[in-house]
Amino acid sequence: MSKSNVELMAHLMRRAGFGATRTELDQLADRNYEEVVEDLLHPGEADSLPDDLIRRYHVDQHELRQADSAAAYWVYRMATTACPLEEKLALFWHGLFATGYTKLNQARTLLNQIDMFRHRGLGSFRELLIELSKDPAMIVWLDNENNHKTAINENYGRELLELFSMGIGSYTEDDVKECARAFTGWTLKNAEYMSQRAMKDSIWPYGRISWHFEYRGHDHDDGEKTFLGETGRFDGEDVIAIIVRHESTARFVCTRLFQYFAADEVDSDAEPVIREMMDSYMESDYEIRSVLRTLFNSDYFRSDAVRLARVKGPVELVIGALRQAGMCSEPVLDINDIANQASYMGQGLLNPPTVEGWHEGIEWINSGALVDRVNFVAAWLGDTANPGVRAMIDRMAEMDGGVLSPEELVDGCLDTLGPLRVSDETRASLVEVASREGEVKLRGNDGADDERVAEILRLAASTPAYQLA
Amino acid sequence: MVVASAPVEYLKTIGIVNNGFNGRGFANPYDTAHDRAGRIYVLNRCDVARRTAIRVGICNLDEDYLGEFGYGAGGGDGQMVLPVAMAFDSRDRLYVTDEYNHRVSVFDSDGKFLEKWGVRGSGPDRINGPAGIAIDDADNVYVADQHNHRIQKFTADGEWIGGWGAPGSGEGEFNMPWGVAMDGAGSIYVADWRNDRVQKFSPDGSFLASFGSGGGPEGLIRPSSVAVDDRGSVYVADWGNERVQIFTPDGSFSKTLRGQATLSKWAKDFLAANPDEQATRDISDLRPKLPPHLNTPDHLSSQIEPYFWGPVSVRFDHSQRLFVTETNRHRLQIYSTT
Repeated sequence: MSKSNVELMAHLMRRAGFGATRTELDQLADRNYEEVVEDLLHPGEADSLPDDLIRRYHVDQHELRQADSAAAYWVYRMATTACPLEEKLALFWHGLFATGYTKLNQARTLLNQIDMFRHRGLGSFRELLIELSKDPAMIVWLDNENNHKTAINENYGRELLELFSMGIGSYTEDDVKECARAFTGWTLKNAEYMSQRAMKDSIWPYGRISWHFEYRGHDHDDGEKTFLGETGRFDGEDVIAIIVRHESTARFVCTRLFQYFAADEVDSDAEPVIREMMDSYMESDYEIRSVLRTLFNSDYFRSDAVRLARVKGPVELVIGALRQAGMCSEPVLDINDIANQASYMGQGLLNPPTVEGWHEGIEWINSGALVDRVNFVAAWLGDTANPGVRAMIDRMAEMDGGVLSPEELVDGCLDTLGPLRVSDETRASLVEVASREGEVKLRGNDGADDERVAEILRLAASTPAYQLA
Repeated sequence: MVVASAPVEYLKTIGIVNNGFNGRGFANPYDTAHDRAGRIYVLNRCDVARRTAIRVGICNLDEDYLGEFGYGAGGGDGQMVLPVAMAFDSRDRLYVTDEYNHRVSVFDSDGKFLEKWGVRGSGPDRINGPAGIAIDDADNVYVADQHNHRIQKFTADGEWIGGWGAPGSGEGEFNMPWGVAMDGAGSIYVADWRNDRVQKFSPDGSFLASFGSGGGPEGLIRPSSVAVDDRGSVYVADWGNERVQIFTPDGSFSKTLRGQATLSKWAKDFLAANPDEQATRDISDLRPKLPPHLNTPDHLSSQIEPYFWGPVSVRFDHSQRLFVTETNRHRLQIYSTT
């Protein structure tokens, strides 16, 4: 394997997943890049921490009455899945179709929505929008249970066009009204009781009752509608079929995917890539898998310039550190606290700030969040009790007979955590710390120098480079 | 020999969700124990984020809430973190397992802490993740030693007597055992959780029978608890299937209970005080037909309120009434079996 292949795979796994351990990268670097991309695009068995073990240990993650329990459950899934793109993409859709617990008081139904993203996220955008429109959490989040034949509520129809598919400027106010008419009667079972319990946050008498979609034909406006220049007796599925074939929808979806997976800013070099993604979208009958294949295989995505150039989102950062530290292979008592860390950094799972989701990129970083971010990764990646950290030390013990100079120690830590690229000045500072007690002996030394490795791992994980994907 | 099916009839439901340590209601109940006076002790496991309310609640069949006791979450005397199961001995002392603290705590019937015992480890006299518990007429205490995959036997004071089992799926082997029970002859039944079966042993731990495995519509998935009635019929909390499976004494399948909860007295009181919820509830279908992608036991139970959801424990009181404890619905469904 070549170093450049390792770095390329590290880049792919950071963007299409949550990063990879150095051992995983060695295995990936021996493989053809496009084949690895195809594997990511065709997730098989997730092989994540089994539900039965989670539920036996965490009663709350079986019941899923509370938001913190549901977020913790998702952390387990992300931290242990063998199909990282499936989860990373679910996180993307969660940010784009932002639906929050605070209005719903229905954590289980929210997790059902995330599960729908897992199953539909790589498929047809048309089918995804249909499922989204039938998703009971979305229905209550945007008031579609109050969208009646005799009195429309435009909220869902408006956001479907503005935030979920076309973007503002591609439709008229009349289109919003007609869109809303098409979705009348799309509600949830027992809507009156369920929305009342949601509003009151009622858990009585016997805990929450989860939700599912119901179509009420008697409340659906079956009349003629004119939508985006087309006329017919459209229902919600007809409206979505019209939406997805518009170029503005292709541009909207492809741009958002580009910004999430490739680069925050769309510059002149990015524009041809987005055009190619749009072509793939149209040619594939709106298939997201095809769009992402085009992106991941583009020269732009593989280029050196885009690597380690995007600020990791809080969830990416937390999950990436957990995976490298080898955590969550079994249930742990403090998983809720771990999930809460991402919230403290500004990204509470299942609790986006608004229907617009999170503002990403450099906005993730402020002085308070940065302290939390650095402290979290330094703590997990500097603890020799964690199996992933243990594996890093064992790997370095195989280098040069297990006797490492301060320079080799620093380079070994930067390599095993990324590989990370740091400035000469940062590297010199790390070497200075590593030099205080001379070389480290990682074999035949009863682990006496393990903590010195951990110290450099902590410091390396605290560099700005680790904050970037 | 032909054995008639157990004459099981639904009686009533007791419970309402209550996260607090402040009166009637349950928070993720995990097990019941029954004293000779007819008092029902309910173990409230709670969850980690709300663990300050870990407690044992006491009520009776008439739904009078008689009291509760708890000592907070932690490792101190009387405290617990992940309580699992309870049982009374012949002196009405209540034993409670805690799979996080790796010990058994003992209380008197008024909730006064008496003692605790158990040391974490894998040695012959140690336990790791104690789960189910059963006590025989001589006050020998049997504990499912979850992570050591065996059954441990102690005196009432926690002195180790012996044990049996090893990791595996063969006869007499276990995979994370959970519930333990015994019949009138002293035979011991173990809910062999991750082997999807119940195993039956003689009092000295010799393997006698295994049933419920093999899949199929009647097969067990992750059974968590087992109880045996006076006739020898075996009731299993088929936790992974969200149901209770009943077997004849020879291990043949007899009957399934899926749950049929009605409003408890406490639930009726709540709805009477909240007529707006009563009104919308009255026009609701609480037994809806779910779309195909939600057609799993867990999803069905999460949306069909009368069904069992998280049926973690089956226990009999001294009148042969069956108590099914539902973690996720915070209630007990009670059946007559005579």
